[in-house]
Amino acid sequence: MENIMIEVRDLRKEFRKAVKEPGLKGSVKALFKPVYNTVKAVDGISFTVPKGEIIGFIGPNGAGKSTVIKMLTGILTPTSGECRIDGKIPTKDRKKYVKEIGVVFGQRTQLWWDLALRETYMVLKEIYEIPDKEYEERMAFLNEVLELDDFITSPVRTLSLGQRMRADIAASLLHNPKVLFLDEPTIGLDVVVKDSIRKAIKKINAENGTTVILTTHDLEDIELLCERIVMIDKGKKVFDGDISELKRRFGQMRELHFELKNSADFEKLDYKGDFSFGEEDFTIELKGTIVDVRFNCDVVSVEEMLSYTLSRVHVKDINVKDADIEEIIRRLYLKGGEMLDAASENV
Amino acid sequence: MKRILKMHLIFIRQDLKKLMEYKVDFLLGAIGFLLTQAVQILCLGIIFSAIPALCYTLNGEVLDAWSFEEVLFIYGFSLIPKGIDHLLYDNLWGLGYWIVDKGDFDKYLTRPINSWIYILCEKFCVDAFGDLVVGVALIVYSLVSMSPETIAEINPLRIIPVVLVIPFAVMIFTSVKTGTAAISFWTKRSGHITHMCYMTNEFAKYPAKIYNTFVKTLITYILPFALTAYYPAIYLLRGESWWSIPVTVAVSLVLFGVSQLIWHRGLKAYESAGS
Amino acid sequence: MRLLRMYKPFTSAGLQEMVVYRVNFLFFLLGEIMKCFVMFFVWKAVFDSSDGTTIYGFTYENMVVYLFISFLSGYLTYSDGSYVIGKEILDGSIAMRMIKPVDFDMCFLFQELGGKILQVLILFVPITAGVEIYRFIITGEILFNIPLFLLFVLSMVLAYLINFFFNLSYGFLAFYLKNLWGTDIIKGVIIDFLSGATIPLAFMGGFGKVLGYLPFASLSYTPVMIYMGMYSAGEIAFYLSLQVLWLVVFIAVSKLILHLAMKRLVVHGG
Repeated sequence: MENIMIEVRDLRKEFRKAVKEPGLKGSVKALFKPVYNTVKAVDGISFTVPKGEIIGFIGPNGAGKSTVIKMLTGILTPTSGECRIDGKIPTKDRKKYVKEIGVVFGQRTQLWWDLALRETYMVLKEIYEIPDKEYEERMAFLNEVLELDDFITSPVRTLSLGQRMRADIAASLLHNPKVLFLDEPTIGLDVVVKDSIRKAIKKINAENGTTVILTTHDLEDIELLCERIVMIDKGKKVFDGDISELKRRFGQMRELHFELKNSADFEKLDYKGDFSFGEEDFTIELKGTIVDVRFNCDVVSVEEMLSYTLSRVHVKDINVKDADIEEIIRRLYLKGGEMLDAASENV
Repeated sequence: MKRILKMHLIFIRQDLKKLMEYKVDFLLGAIGFLLTQAVQILCLGIIFSAIPALCYTLNGEVLDAWSFEEVLFIYGFSLIPKGIDHLLYDNLWGLGYWIVDKGDFDKYLTRPINSWIYILCEKFCVDAFGDLVVGVALIVYSLVSMSPETIAEINPLRIIPVVLVIPFAVMIFTSVKTGTAAISFWTKRSGHITHMCYMTNEFAKYPAKIYNTFVKTLITYILPFALTAYYPAIYLLRGESWWSIPVTVAVSLVLFGVSQLIWHRGLKAYESAGS
Repeated sequence: MRLLRMYKPFTSAGLQEMVVYRVNFLFFLLGEIMKCFVMFFVWKAVFDSSDGTTIYGFTYENMVVYLFISFLSGYLTYSDGSYVIGKEILDGSIAMRMIKPVDFDMCFLFQELGGKILQVLILFVPITAGVEIYRFIITGEILFNIPLFLLFVLSMVLAYLINFFFNLSYGFLAFYLKNLWGTDIIKGVIIDFLSGATIPLAFMGGFGKVLGYLPFASLSYTPVMIYMGMYSAGEIAFYLSLQVLWLVVFIAVSKLILHLAMKRLVVHGG
């Protein structure tokens, strides 16, 4: 299958972690008798990525996302299982392998703090042995896509977060890699900057055919960039498929959030009795006078829910929200086992 | 090789530029280093004001003696390889103290270049000029103030092997730092181990004969800092211990090999555990 | 008692930090103590080279005791509050301390004391025991003297407090001095020299006598000389009162600088 860029088979990674009890007593105990735990950070993950695809890699904090990325980029050796990128095994002959990938860790820059950006790229040119002509063409292209010109002579430490992220992405693309790994590329950025970065990623993907693996917590990143997502939790894959598939299945949840004038009114609301919600279509929570309702809008429309609520109780404030990624993830947990089956169907 | 040099030059230029940018910081730091050395030399002067020469005695019999000027020369010479290592390869301290600990080592693994060389190239430590200036000044001063008879005994031809051995002496410093900094791949932090081993070089500033057998063996063969200072310096001055020149070359090569071995083992461990 | 309860969390935090970094601390210590061993041999050669058995009133045995005890007192009375405060002032995080209802200098003091507990446990007994055994082997008699020892401990505590308030004052100067790193090195070297940590003040003749009255001698020289029994009862009384005097002076100075610095902080922001 020559069309496959990344192939991951039954990838596993285990860590040994020292356990420390809190407080002074714990410290003293750890001093004399350290206790270790084996943690399965990645527990048998398989997936494939075709050439030129942008794939979103998502999951809650600590799900094992960055461990997978680190194995794919050759920083970590898998405990067992295999990953091949363009037929190569990352940790084998790493120096050759990393010439074909670009990596951006959104949380920490890979640039040199004191070096002017232009000089940073000169260093990278030497590291990646890029010929002069190719380097110039590439710089011109990246300049156009990422608009580096305004700050190319400034030292990295003086750049704003958005500029720095653009500079980092350009740095990872200088050698025209086949695969680009982006770990939280929009973290902490404002809306405008996020947008320009997404556009740039799309453009690079379209013009160079670069395969992109993206981890993020931002649903918009996923929606605007990815054709497909792989979702993992507790080291296991829980979903693998189209974004539209995910939305179709789980995106129909809405959140109704309102504050009651009188908390005794809560009893007047009997959604479950008056509508025919299924087990997973509905949850309700009361905190003081605040009510949170999550419901499936395929079953009952938003309009119906609103008018039902407003006709029964007095509210101070009311609003409706789309289900966000956290909500989708939460629902995926509930159905964990079932989803795994759905995921394997999709492969 | 050429690209590494080119890359190194960019960093060197940058750090020199930074020096101009932060003149006051640099000056204060340099004055600090100069003062540190000056105070130590002042103390040496005070000590020597009480004795005619530093003697090595056994059972009350004087076996060897060094004049104040000779001790200054050895002291000054010790700062040269140390200063060069400090100037070029200071980043290894960072590895042991925070690079691995903070998870910043990952980026070195995503580049198509030997991570060790990459780390070495990345920093040019201008503070080291303090060491080098004091070292050269002491060498010059001690030679100028030596008696004509002592000077007459120095065979200029001996300068050649001594100068040639300096890069190997530097390699001893760099290897000790490399080997100990690599421990951080297992423990996350190892700067303090580097510090401990590095401090052994304090012994090298004085004639090795004044130490007991244990210390002498330690600083000649295990953490062989005596080979970076006392032996080449005394060979230059008196033609003594000529054997130390080939031994320095051999020991530095072995040490280099060992440090690379530790480094590669450490990398393997890092790859399996991460940070 | 209330004071102790209030600041106990700080002490415990300092101690925990120390425990976590215990191995690093041990290695660091071994590196530092290396310098003592270098000088141990250098002084041996120096005394061998000298005609008399004493140099400036010190025998070799005195010198060795001096080396290790001054290392011990230098280490235990060391205070790096200045660096911490300076950094916090420069990056503005000092504001977090100011919004807590505790005394600013006291929280630093108790935090540092927490770390000191472990340092005392690790260093004090081995070094003093080592020194006493050494003295016993060389001279054949037990020179350990309990009253002198207690006075030494008292003098060390005073030395630490002087050091603490001196450094606190220096740290507050970060408002004015932007470069703490360079000036810190310079400060360290000068203090080491003037306090007799590098070489006994007695070796410096008349100049050394003058230095004896300055606050620097109170930081390290006074406790060490008391330990070694180099001072008469009258001298001990005199130098201890001098220490108390300097302590009062530096407490006053640090309060004054803190007051000025706070004003500046309020006016210019953190």
